[in-house]
Amino acid sequence: MEHYNKNNINILIEQMPKTPRISISFFFKVVKKEKFAGINSLLARLLLQGTKNYSASKLAELFENQCIDITSKAKQDYLKLSLVFLNEDLKEAINLTKDLILNSTFNDYKKEIYKMKNEIISDLDNPKFKLTDCFVKTIFDNHPYSATHTKILESIDNITKEDIIETHKELLKNFHSIVFVGDCENKTELIDYLSSNFNFLESNDTKNEIEDLFTTQNKEDKLIFIPKNDAQQAQILQGWLVPSFNSPLSPNYSILNNILGAQGLSSRLFVNLRDKQGLAYTVRSQYETLLHSAIFDLYIGTAPININKSLLGFEDELQKLADKAPLNEELIGARENIKGRLKYFSQNNSQICSIQGYNYTMGLGLDYNEKFLSKLDKVTAEDVSNTAKNLLQTPKLTVIIAPEEYRIE
Amino acid sequence: MMEIINKELVEYPYLEKPLSIYTFDNGYKVVLAPKKSPMINISSWVKTGSINENKDNNGVSHFVEHLLFKGTTKYKAGYFDKKMEQLGGIINAATWKDYTFYYINIPKEHFRIALELHSDMMVDAIFPGQEIGPRFDIKGNPPEEKRERYVVIEEIRMGEDNNWRKVYKNLNNIMYQNHPYKREVIGTKEIISNITQEEIVRYYKTFYTPNNITTIVSGVFDEEKVINLIKDNFRFRDNSNIEPCVADKKIKETKIKNPTVVYDSSDIQTGYLMLGALCDSASNLKETIALDLLSTILGDGKSSRLYSTLVENQEKPHYYQIESCHYQFKDGDNFFIEANFDPTKKDIVIEELKGQLRGLEKIEQTELDKAKKRARVNFAQESETVCDIADAIGFWMSVCEDITLAKKYLSTLEEIDCSYLQSIAKKYLDPDLVSISICLPEGEKNGTL
Repeated sequence: MEHYNKNNINILIEQMPKTPRISISFFFKVVKKEKFAGINSLLARLLLQGTKNYSASKLAELFENQCIDITSKAKQDYLKLSLVFLNEDLKEAINLTKDLILNSTFNDYKKEIYKMKNEIISDLDNPKFKLTDCFVKTIFDNHPYSATHTKILESIDNITKEDIIETHKELLKNFHSIVFVGDCENKTELIDYLSSNFNFLESNDTKNEIEDLFTTQNKEDKLIFIPKNDAQQAQILQGWLVPSFNSPLSPNYSILNNILGAQGLSSRLFVNLRDKQGLAYTVRSQYETLLHSAIFDLYIGTAPININKSLLGFEDELQKLADKAPLNEELIGARENIKGRLKYFSQNNSQICSIQGYNYTMGLGLDYNEKFLSKLDKVTAEDVSNTAKNLLQTPKLTVIIAPEEYRIE
Repeated sequence: MMEIINKELVEYPYLEKPLSIYTFDNGYKVVLAPKKSPMINISSWVKTGSINENKDNNGVSHFVEHLLFKGTTKYKAGYFDKKMEQLGGIINAATWKDYTFYYINIPKEHFRIALELHSDMMVDAIFPGQEIGPRFDIKGNPPEEKRERYVVIEEIRMGEDNNWRKVYKNLNNIMYQNHPYKREVIGTKEIISNITQEEIVRYYKTFYTPNNITTIVSGVFDEEKVINLIKDNFRFRDNSNIEPCVADKKIKETKIKNPTVVYDSSDIQTGYLMLGALCDSASNLKETIALDLLSTILGDGKSSRLYSTLVENQEKPHYYQIESCHYQFKDGDNFFIEANFDPTKKDIVIEELKGQLRGLEKIEQTELDKAKKRARVNFAQESETVCDIADAIGFWMSVCEDITLAKKYLSTLEEIDCSYLQSIAKKYLDPDLVSISICLPEGEKNGTL
């Protein structure tokens, strides 16, 4: 992928000859706490809900008649507009996107708030969703990352049109980059075309006001039990705040995660809790990295009667790694597995656009994947073991959803 | 060793080179799909699923899928998973009504070992009793030793906590009278806790036969070498001496005989509804395409009829999610509308959705044009990665049993006009011939229709 800066706009281009669909993403950075939880998500939705030129219905029709797939999503650290379309529809896609970014009216904000609230209520019908919501809200406490769906419900009705306009202005000031992946015959023409169409945007490097939060705030373990009497399975999520991608410790967590519960069918949690003990269909670990924090967590969906057994299983597997460093074969296997997964998830234009755009927006550079993989090669078995030890010595948060009769304290 | 009796080249939309389709003397088929990629996909699709089950062994297809990973004569349980994943592979399998498939996506340099292990698992699974786990009474205490049998029971339990799955299960049950499609692919806790090792092995030997399997390789490869490796490795056992499993009679049902509304309840805040209709087989290409188009027009995206009328054009919409979909099956397709809604508006919702079906008596040319473009783009999308390609080919080979239909799809698509589409809507999407399944919050009245 190559980087260009024209008219102060960062443009990344990866040429993929003979591919039928182009993928383009526009990245905007989130650099401060939202005035109201969820306002960035609301703005992302409203960008597709009508401009000075077109109503929401007309916009949907214009995009969908050409099969231009567009998504607008706000995440913790950025807002992204993504488009995927046939090569022949480039101009139409660019014209419509320009209109969205420049001319959105936000007139239907009350209706969008109404829709968003109801969709959240519907999401919360899903016990797994409820579990994650409670876990994230609690582990991040007052940090901006704690703005989960239940928090959004508490404040969304207070959002005014002025708040949205203000957030939109802020967003335009924090535009970061355009990422293009697809068939492109003339790169110079493409750069000119993109930079002239979006000359109202400027790539800025505004100071990020959000604080880092890489360690758990609690002094001791915390357990939250949410009763759900008709649940067939108990949902358990246990985790810690840990260093993120900018830390030298990050590769250690990646390898630990892979060995413990992210490799697929052969990770330790999968083999020992699922295959050997039949405790679950789904059991896994996850290392989720963000700009200002990261979470390392363990999840299992199990029969409520097996809650204690599962929690012991989590601890046992971490303890085994802490007591005895993994064998070299397992370490090498973990590295290769991560490399294979990266290749697997970088196959089409849309996947490449998403991964490279994210890396670049987070300030990781266009060669981050290669650098990351070479850092993995330097992780030793002792590093993995020490990382497991560290988790065991750090207060953890556990959230459980299960019928009341299985409550544990 | 098996011998090739036929090789055919078939053009496939959006692929630079044609597919090579090999047929062997034992009926086994191999499809090679060249595609530039650092990954290679190896998949084997078995033409069996819940379609080949009966009331006593329902769920066995899916259980066999789990158990294929549990060892062969050559390799112990876990070896395949570990070896593949430590070489960067992504492996898994899935079972549906008409098929079960097993796949490996792996960096292409590891193709040889991946093919060797994949073929070994396909032709020589041994189903060790220790891995299956002991039989037990599901109403009593769970056994101390919980192995794969219990993993599947946990999977069933997981589905019971999923509102959409609950609604789909109930709808599926009322849409059919006798066809095996009536049952859930995953089976029941009662059957899985009690099924014998012998029955499992008998099912495997009955249906995992060469004439029932297609292997697909998608990626960069030397065709001759691949075919020779497959010939060397896929050494099918002769299982003709077994007493084969008997599936239920499969009498096609393409119209719901007794349209019904069924209710369920749960600890939820919103309502979940699925409305379903039965249609003709997936291999009836022109009708299948028409149903794809109708699904796009009715409920795919924000400009679709359902979303624009019932959500976008309402001040306070009582739908939180609404879409339609078309599932394709060997013995007859399903057409669904799925709605998540304000539970107090249940009766209005049912009437509105039936009204939307009635509205399909008139289709605009612009709607048809949009839906046709979407159908073409879907093909482009399915050619983007080696796994997408393998999945699409597997579907055509297993459900329609004719890969040439993939190519005919685009030319047949052009033949369809608005009046044909309207006639298909009239034939299959009659609001008086649909069944409906609803899940409401506990305490919410079911009402009457």
